[in-house]
Amino acid sequence: CKSVLDVKPKGNYTTGNYWRNQSDAVDGVTGIYNVLLEEDYTGFNEFVFDNCSDDQVRGGDHDYDAAIEDYSYDASTYSVKVGWRWKYETINRANNVLIYVPKITDIDPAIKNRCLGEAHFFRAFAYWRLLLIYGEAPMVTEDDVVKSNYNKPKVSADQLRAQIETDLLAAADQLPESYGDGDKGRVSKGTAWGLLCKLYMNWEKLDKAIEVGNKVITNANYKLAPRYADNFSVATGNNSEMLLAVQTVDGSGYSDFITYHAPRNWNGWSFFYPTKGLVDEFEAGDPRKNICIMQPGDQVNIGTGIATYNAAASWTGYHYKKFCAWKPSGGLDYSLKTPLMRSADIYLLVAEAKIRLNGPGAGDAEIKAIRQRASATLPAVTNAGMKELMHERRVELCGENERQQDLLRWDKAKLVDIVALNAKPKLAYDGSVVTRGGAPRKFTRPKNYFFPMPQTEIDRSKGTLIQNPNY
Amino acid sequence: KVTGAADGQGLPGVNVTVPGTSNGAITDTKGNYTLSLSAGAKSVLFTFIGYEPQTITIGDKTVINVSLAATTKGLGEVVVVGYGVQTRRDVTGTIASVKGSDIKNIPVPDAAQAIQGRVSGVDIVRSDGAPGSTPSIRIRGTGTINNADPLIIIDGIPAGGLSDVNPNDIASMEILKDASSSAIYGTRAANGVVIITTKKGNYGEKLKTSVNLYRGVSNTVRYIPLLTAPELAMLKQERYTNDGVPVDAIWKDAYYSTQRTDWQRALLRSGDITNADVSLRGGNSSSNYLVSAGYYKENGIITNSYFQRYSVRINSEHKLGKRFKVGENMQLTYKKSSGPDTYSSQTGLIFSALRFNPAIPVHNPDGSYGSSKASNELGDINNPVYTAETTDTWIKNYRMLASVYGELEITDGLTLRGNFGFDGSMANQYSFAPKVLDQTRARDHAELFNRNETNNNQLSEVFLTYNKVFSQVHHITLTGGYSQQTFNGSWFRGDRWGYNDEALDQRVLSNGNDIHDATGNYYASNAIASGFVRGFYGYKDKYLLTVTFRADGSSRFAPDQRWGYFPAFSAGWRISDETFFKDNVKAISNLKITGGWGQLGNQNVADFQYLAPIDKDRRYNFGENPYTGVWNSRLANPDITWEKAEMTNISLEAGFLNNRLNTTITWFNKKTRDMLVPAPEMDLHGTSAIPDRNLGQLNNKGWELEASYQGGNDRFHYNISANASFIKNEVTKLYDPTSYIGSTPYGRQGQEISRTYVGQPLASYYGWKTDGIYQNDAQIKSDPNIKNDPNKDNIKPGDVIFVDTNGDGIINEKDRVNLGSPNPKMVYGIQASAGYKGFDLSLSFAGVSGVKLYNADKMQGMDPNYPYNMYADALNRWHGEGTSNSVPRMTLGNANQNNRVSDRFVENGNYFALKNASLGYTIPAKVWGRSGISDIHVYVAAQNLFILTKYSGLTPQLGYSTSTDGANGTRDGNRQRGVDVAAYPQARTFTFGATLNF
Repeated sequence: CKSVLDVKPKGNYTTGNYWRNQSDAVDGVTGIYNVLLEEDYTGFNEFVFDNCSDDQVRGGDHDYDAAIEDYSYDASTYSVKVGWRWKYETINRANNVLIYVPKITDIDPAIKNRCLGEAHFFRAFAYWRLLLIYGEAPMVTEDDVVKSNYNKPKVSADQLRAQIETDLLAAADQLPESYGDGDKGRVSKGTAWGLLCKLYMNWEKLDKAIEVGNKVITNANYKLAPRYADNFSVATGNNSEMLLAVQTVDGSGYSDFITYHAPRNWNGWSFFYPTKGLVDEFEAGDPRKNICIMQPGDQVNIGTGIATYNAAASWTGYHYKKFCAWKPSGGLDYSLKTPLMRSADIYLLVAEAKIRLNGPGAGDAEIKAIRQRASATLPAVTNAGMKELMHERRVELCGENERQQDLLRWDKAKLVDIVALNAKPKLAYDGSVVTRGGAPRKFTRPKNYFFPMPQTEIDRSKGTLIQNPNY
Repeated sequence: KVTGAADGQGLPGVNVTVPGTSNGAITDTKGNYTLSLSAGAKSVLFTFIGYEPQTITIGDKTVINVSLAATTKGLGEVVVVGYGVQTRRDVTGTIASVKGSDIKNIPVPDAAQAIQGRVSGVDIVRSDGAPGSTPSIRIRGTGTINNADPLIIIDGIPAGGLSDVNPNDIASMEILKDASSSAIYGTRAANGVVIITTKKGNYGEKLKTSVNLYRGVSNTVRYIPLLTAPELAMLKQERYTNDGVPVDAIWKDAYYSTQRTDWQRALLRSGDITNADVSLRGGNSSSNYLVSAGYYKENGIITNSYFQRYSVRINSEHKLGKRFKVGENMQLTYKKSSGPDTYSSQTGLIFSALRFNPAIPVHNPDGSYGSSKASNELGDINNPVYTAETTDTWIKNYRMLASVYGELEITDGLTLRGNFGFDGSMANQYSFAPKVLDQTRARDHAELFNRNETNNNQLSEVFLTYNKVFSQVHHITLTGGYSQQTFNGSWFRGDRWGYNDEALDQRVLSNGNDIHDATGNYYASNAIASGFVRGFYGYKDKYLLTVTFRADGSSRFAPDQRWGYFPAFSAGWRISDETFFKDNVKAISNLKITGGWGQLGNQNVADFQYLAPIDKDRRYNFGENPYTGVWNSRLANPDITWEKAEMTNISLEAGFLNNRLNTTITWFNKKTRDMLVPAPEMDLHGTSAIPDRNLGQLNNKGWELEASYQGGNDRFHYNISANASFIKNEVTKLYDPTSYIGSTPYGRQGQEISRTYVGQPLASYYGWKTDGIYQNDAQIKSDPNIKNDPNKDNIKPGDVIFVDTNGDGIINEKDRVNLGSPNPKMVYGIQASAGYKGFDLSLSFAGVSGVKLYNADKMQGMDPNYPYNMYADALNRWHGEGTSNSVPRMTLGNANQNNRVSDRFVENGNYFALKNASLGYTIPAKVWGRSGISDIHVYVAAQNLFILTKYSGLTPQLGYSTSTDGANGTRDGNRQRGVDVAAYPQARTFTFGATLNF
């Protein structure tokens, strides 16, 4: 009878017989990138959190997104909870690579280094998103994975930051500086330095932010794309400036990111509407406005022809044009990459750190680089202070999930009053107030700096996981 | 001539044999027979189902007329048990028997549906009414949170798949309910065993032909009252006005205040059912055979939903010499079916019909389908009629279930039997989704997928049976043997995207533009090896004892966790055979007490959970080139092993009035332990599944009552039987006392409805209690429920009052409590049949009591936060002090979460239904003269003719909600039951039919 029962799984590897060679390592790393396509992660849900900002209004028909926008969310709100597991899935896949790949000998040392660098980077990226959304969170190490120990309390924000820093330094050490055409879309040294710069800004370590940010902006591999629009075009999305972008390809591994952004009558689901406040922020003659925003009366190439954009398509009368693309055969073109981090962001962070350390004018060079790339005819800004810097970040990075985090950082540094900002209503193109029910928006400091951790996680942890204060 | 003792009429079909020879005959329609005797024949044996066998010594007689006495109901019957048969008198376990004739021509494709309400202790749970949907069978409660389906044996092969068997081919269904009778199936018996025995020919029987024909129509039982377009526009306007927000222009647009479509009536149509089957059977002295062929087709009440089946059966047995028999049973089936998704709250068809805006026409004036594209205010659902009419999906199943056996009588009473079974099946699934640009849920290219799956399982078993009566008082039966079964399979799937020509006859894989996917793998490889033994001892048929033991090995578990050992015993005492009883208690004609205990196993869990698999994820691109990622889809549990169930039961059966009235009462207690339960861990492992652990315990205990009465005379006879089961289901241990097993969240908001806690029944509803509606500000200010609630300022008159169950003055997650159980406290049925001259009437009722249902569809249909149509009950909303104390105000503000999971949507789910009713007339043979027809039976029948219930949804007959919305996206099985997601409702059916015998 022994032989009859001696059945082994066929057609699938197990952790016991996988991780043998280079292709196993590379596929394992690709698995980490896969998570970026998830709707509940960077495919959509991470961008919902920026509905808190003054730049956009939640559209679509997920009424629970309204709770995010008006700060009435709680620990059970859908958008608050769904991204959690994908962040830990990223951490888990990265941990597996970090556990098993070092033991592989049948592998090109350069590829092995790259794989480990990618794993370190994405583990850091997942903790970075946890840090921004929840403030504090549990940490799962390689040792926890080996021991199947998943009942862990949260660690402080500084412990998270220290882990992110360690991982990013390792990633910057192990990752290549640039890639050939066949590997475009992988993270590089520049990606790690860029995120490190953002981490130091969040950590109020302005010196270090400048130091590491300079590694990006002085490196020709990460230079700004020739034209601002290049970043939001199917043909040129993968350019030197694009430090991190989700590599969606139409018909083959894509996310619904652009479906969520495109107008409903043009094959989208219409979830994000820019506000009049954002649109008015663009200076006259700034070409970025027409690249980023669809306005009433705009003639838009929707693939099968030119159509006129109508204010009725949106509660505010606007859509983000930068996140839309259509195919000539009809339907959305999912080859448009989702930008998650650009060098332009790092330029402006370096400028911000310099201004905050050394006063107005200290960041002029970086701001100039951004403005000149946008248009040669934009008036030069000299002796720029935080006001000019804030303006530049708002228009350059609109819709890219940076605005609310900028406001939170500036509020904590007492550079803006986020409570006052939130008390102002969001306006539609015609000046009318956009409210879709619920209480008026009211930001409570410090409660709304962070979101609560998912109630289901609190419940299942049986006291190990302590909810964030104020929830 | 053979006659019945009761009425003296000739008995047709009686087996007349000469023991020890192959000589035999069958009585004709008048009860006459002739038999040529060989020299040395000493006696003739007369046997007939339902009558006491009789042996007559031949002597020098040339005419032997006998009068057979009907067996007191059931006692003389033979029941099929595992690896053998037993007379009902000797049974010490609890075995229910349903005869094929009881379920004949009931218009269902699956015998399990037909036995609903007919057997005590058996709950038939049909989750939806889609054509061909298979019900779940729950024997003595739900025995585990995991797969609680019983083992199904078809003609000796553990095979499952009842929907492949034409119910008209079934001779009997035996349901082994207790541990003693099912223990011989060891690790697969914890949830009970259902043994299907199909019809066979008889030795020496003339060719008989029987034809069954019926046809019927089906319709939905009810519709849900919904808002009309003007009412909806009015409430939408009220909603904006309440919130102090400008009314969206669309609700002032006359177009959207004009009623155009009742989407329920647009979607639901009249369905139909057709059945035709024919069987031929007969035999000579050395061979017998049965050949049958059947066709069944059901068109459901939603366009493009159907189930059809062609089936062929060939059963035969042959005697080779005096001591050796060979035989075979073979079943060939082809099924094709198509069913819409009615579980999703994104695309479910009935959900869509209940929500789609009633101002939108089915078709626009230009002929295109109406759509919700005009505005986000209309929601993101596609026109359900469009979806139903453009559906082009089906699944075809091909199956051969065959067995060959040989039986050698080694010496008198000792037989050796070998049984070799093969169960091979193939499933071919096809789904074409057209390009759609004019609906909200658009698809910019057509998609086709085709999936093929093959499975084969092979059974080899050999066993010895020794059956002997010593000194006329000691009856011994010993059975022992070895069995092994292997399961193998594989699948592949191809997807192509983009079709330049979507014509119906061009929808093949080769015509698609891009190969989107081409995948395949092995499927379900596992094996079971077992040794088993059973001993029966009866003393004077008064004192009975059965002892069973099985050792089972399963490849599903790690090598050191593979083997399980399952003992059981039961004993019986026929008190009515005791002299002291016979002499003193005349009123009671039969009294027997039986009891037993045993251990059973359940290995019906996912394969290889002791290993951690690496799975492929979807594609990801580098440099625009696709790569495939992998991930660790499950962690490992090296200790995983069977679930075990331990059952004790005691039965008392009593017959009165010369056994015209029979009653049975049974008490049972079934304890499940080592139940595989999920560890209550945080999602810190990401999305990889955590393997279950053998930690849980569950208890089902209760009572089963049965009573039947047969009365009347040869002109008018009637039967009434009733049964009821009372079952208490309680989870007694999980990971730790406060942990729970969750369920897939419902709907767009991911609302958690069911949780399983220690001390509660499985899958109880979990949420907030309510206490009416706040009528004014003063009430809100003074309400102790929210005295410390930071959200207090956001609560307005017209909002729901939630009860602060933990007394902290704050309404939050901690106030959730058990809101009721979906497991019926009582399941019951009543059957009545009567015959008068040629007329016959039969009625079968089924009911449940003590059950709560959760109307999740209504929870969504009453929630103004959704951009959809609402239930008409929304008109009863609060709109000023005193206007309503049950339905909250219209608002988009969700600060109070008025429509969270609460007792507002828990409803009484009791029902009593006339499941089957049939009235027929037999046109006697004499009418047909010499046409060869012996008789024709014509009848009209109805299913679900009435359902008495207070439940407000489409049907109270709910089961397990399969939702693909949840994070897990998989079937929730026993974790969620009785949650109404607007699944395909069971229809009301009327049929007429005829049975012709030649």
